[in-house]
Amino acid sequence: MRHLIRRITDKAFTILTGTSIVLLASVLLIILGPMVWRGSKAVIFKDTVEFRKMQLDLFNRGNPAYLKIESAETESFRKTVYEIVDDFKHGIDTEGLIDQTKQVYRQLGKELRYKEATNEEYQRIRSLARDLRERLQTAFGSNDKKVIKENLDYVLQYRHDKDLADTAAVEFFTLAEDFQQSVENIDLNKRQQYAGSLQQIEEIIFRLLGPKPGDPLPALTMDRYGATRWDLAQKLLDKLLWSQQWIQQEADQPLVKIRVSRAGEFAGTKLEPLFGYVENNLEKMLKPEFTVYWQYFIDDSTPGHYFGGVGPEILGTLLLTLLAMLFVFPLGVISAAYLVECASDNIAIRIIRMSINTLAGVPSIVFGLFGLAFFVLFFIPLFGGPSKPCILAASLTLAVLTLPVMIRASEEAIRSVPQSYKEASLGLGASGFRTFMRVTFPVALPGILTGVILSLSRVAGETAPILFTGAVALGPLPKSLFDPTMTLSYGSYDIAVGDRLAMMVPHNQYGMVVTLVLLILCLNAIAIVLRARVSRKLRGQ
Amino acid sequence: MQKGKDKMPISALENQVNIDHINSVVSLGQKAGSGIKKKKPDCKCAVIKSENFSFYYGTKVGVKDITMEIYPCSVTAIIGPSGCGKSTFLRSVNRINDLIPHTRIEGRLLVNGHNVYDKSTNLVNLRQQVGMVFQKPNPFPKSIFDNVAYGPGLHGVKKRSALQQIVEESLKAAALWDEVKDDLKKSALALSGGQQQRLCIARALATRPNIILMDEPCSALDPIATGKIEDLVDKLQHDYTIVIVTHNMQQAARVSERTAFFCLGELIEYDWTGKIFRNPGKKQTEDYVTGRFG
Repeated sequence: MRHLIRRITDKAFTILTGTSIVLLASVLLIILGPMVWRGSKAVIFKDTVEFRKMQLDLFNRGNPAYLKIESAETESFRKTVYEIVDDFKHGIDTEGLIDQTKQVYRQLGKELRYKEATNEEYQRIRSLARDLRERLQTAFGSNDKKVIKENLDYVLQYRHDKDLADTAAVEFFTLAEDFQQSVENIDLNKRQQYAGSLQQIEEIIFRLLGPKPGDPLPALTMDRYGATRWDLAQKLLDKLLWSQQWIQQEADQPLVKIRVSRAGEFAGTKLEPLFGYVENNLEKMLKPEFTVYWQYFIDDSTPGHYFGGVGPEILGTLLLTLLAMLFVFPLGVISAAYLVECASDNIAIRIIRMSINTLAGVPSIVFGLFGLAFFVLFFIPLFGGPSKPCILAASLTLAVLTLPVMIRASEEAIRSVPQSYKEASLGLGASGFRTFMRVTFPVALPGILTGVILSLSRVAGETAPILFTGAVALGPLPKSLFDPTMTLSYGSYDIAVGDRLAMMVPHNQYGMVVTLVLLILCLNAIAIVLRARVSRKLRGQ
Repeated sequence: MQKGKDKMPISALENQVNIDHINSVVSLGQKAGSGIKKKKPDCKCAVIKSENFSFYYGTKVGVKDITMEIYPCSVTAIIGPSGCGKSTFLRSVNRINDLIPHTRIEGRLLVNGHNVYDKSTNLVNLRQQVGMVFQKPNPFPKSIFDNVAYGPGLHGVKKRSALQQIVEESLKAAALWDEVKDDLKKSALALSGGQQQRLCIARALATRPNIILMDEPCSALDPIATGKIEDLVDKLQHDYTIVIVTHNMQQAARVSERTAFFCLGELIEYDWTGKIFRNPGKKQTEDYVTGRFG
């Protein structure tokens, strides 16, 4: 009976341990899987001609001649889009038309002043022009087809007036003609609604295809190019074809969001063919191609992380991590050596040990504030440095953050060195220091390297300590230790709280996080390989 | 041959076993010889002299009131049951006991006429003069060459050629050279137990000591390795003062010139090896060497 119980408990134990391993692996997969999948899209994705244009302009990458050919190919397809939209606009954009009439009138006035006309002529033309202008404005502003027709006909009868020929007033007639044509197909009551929708559609086309050729170049870099990624273009296409509206489906119930086809909304108007055309020809307008953007890891990034890569961030994180390890390694090892070898067991040493253990549990934001108050505002200025956030202050703060872990791991490692080695070394006439450096330290090195590995991972991913002491969201590459820097951890945080822009660049956010994870993995791998080599040498292979 | 006040009734079989045992020890004692060995005129060894030396671990007594003199260019064995202070006394000679906290001493322990526990003692020099071999072989996790060259390196020998010469001489003196000369860069941990202990002896010899202390050097080794080390001790005794602590009475009888018997922290008897084993002066000694206790 006892034998059976023992067998059952053994089996249960094995199953339990197996289950926990499976649980751990699945949690890891669930967390890392989607992150890595989406992050890889920052590097491996389908790009568009806009992307290649941006690469050429910002980073001087690509074949300019080939790109020119590609752009020319897309031009013809894009032209149709702009034509359809402009065409429709003429019938909708009454505000713009009214402005245009005013402009024409002013132009006419200027021309009259330069022309040598008699006073009589001048007055006549002026009053006629004013009259035409009024009529046009009434026509443009009215919703009644009859009123419009009446006014337009009135205007057009003066078309062949000899006084007005060869002047700016010819514009009046073109405007009247165009308006007449476009008005025929529009339901004038819906004009307001059309105006609103049209604005949205124009915005989407601007995001898709970039600024219209001939328009002035926008100020922000991110506005100068259309959709640089095919998946982004697909999303915009969806927004173009379907609008979201809140409607009241049932009385006394909250409003429900439904998707309405825009083509249906603009049915019967000149804009209707736009949707079908864009849907069918988007590929020809953007020329998507599969690409591996490995320069993501070395490129500088543009404001808002909209374009470009994470090169400076990787550099910043590496700098901070390595500098922090440089500070904490000797400090931690020497402190641990003192605690093990020289410290006697009195109350002061016990208090110190307790403090070290407590410090390991302090939240990292507290270290950040400490770093700000001590390093940035006091310590560095004490030695003549500038009193601002910099790499030096941030890495010192990170070193202090990870010091308890380092001391604990080193202490364990040094304590585990067999006493016999120490006795042998001392017996041969070595001093305590020589014994430590030549015998104890090399034997304790694998354990100390474990502490280094643990510290590396923590330091590379910390955001709170560097928040006030040395990280900056956007800035130039640091030129010295007294400059702040961008880092991967702070960059991820910054995108996450940047709301509007973050929604537009989800691939960048994932990309930054995955790069951070990969970087920590690489650093850990190096440290693990190093530790394995030291271990092998110690074991005698 | 049962002397002493306590006559314990023993069976006939026990009696026979005892007599056989004593006879074997006596024959070994005869091999060890007796008589005074003359001090060699060119011997440069030192003399260890202990005057009422006591060592305390806190309040517990390690050794109490030891007064003895260890003579140069010979092998002195210290025997006794477990916990009687043999190792404590040995480790006090080169002050390895300093590693243990809360200890205190009384009396004097002189090496070459200089009190080891004096404030002005240079520990580095002392330990260069007094080499030590431990119970369990403890070579450093370095190469064979680095192990042996460790000591000379500490004392200022930097040139590669000088170190190589010292390493070769020490390994030859320790009877290990032929076995390892092909690959001195091999890790010391890859050697067998007996080879490692000989390496530790070579390491101790490399600092050119005058005295070699051996704390049960063969207790962790097989008989063949033990034999090799005993041959080595035999060879070395002409140039070094060797003090060897051992549990193995046959070993003490085989290698040593003089033997000291410790019991419960006190020196019971110290005399020529032959006399100790054949004709011990104290009853305790006799009880121990005849195997009645300990």
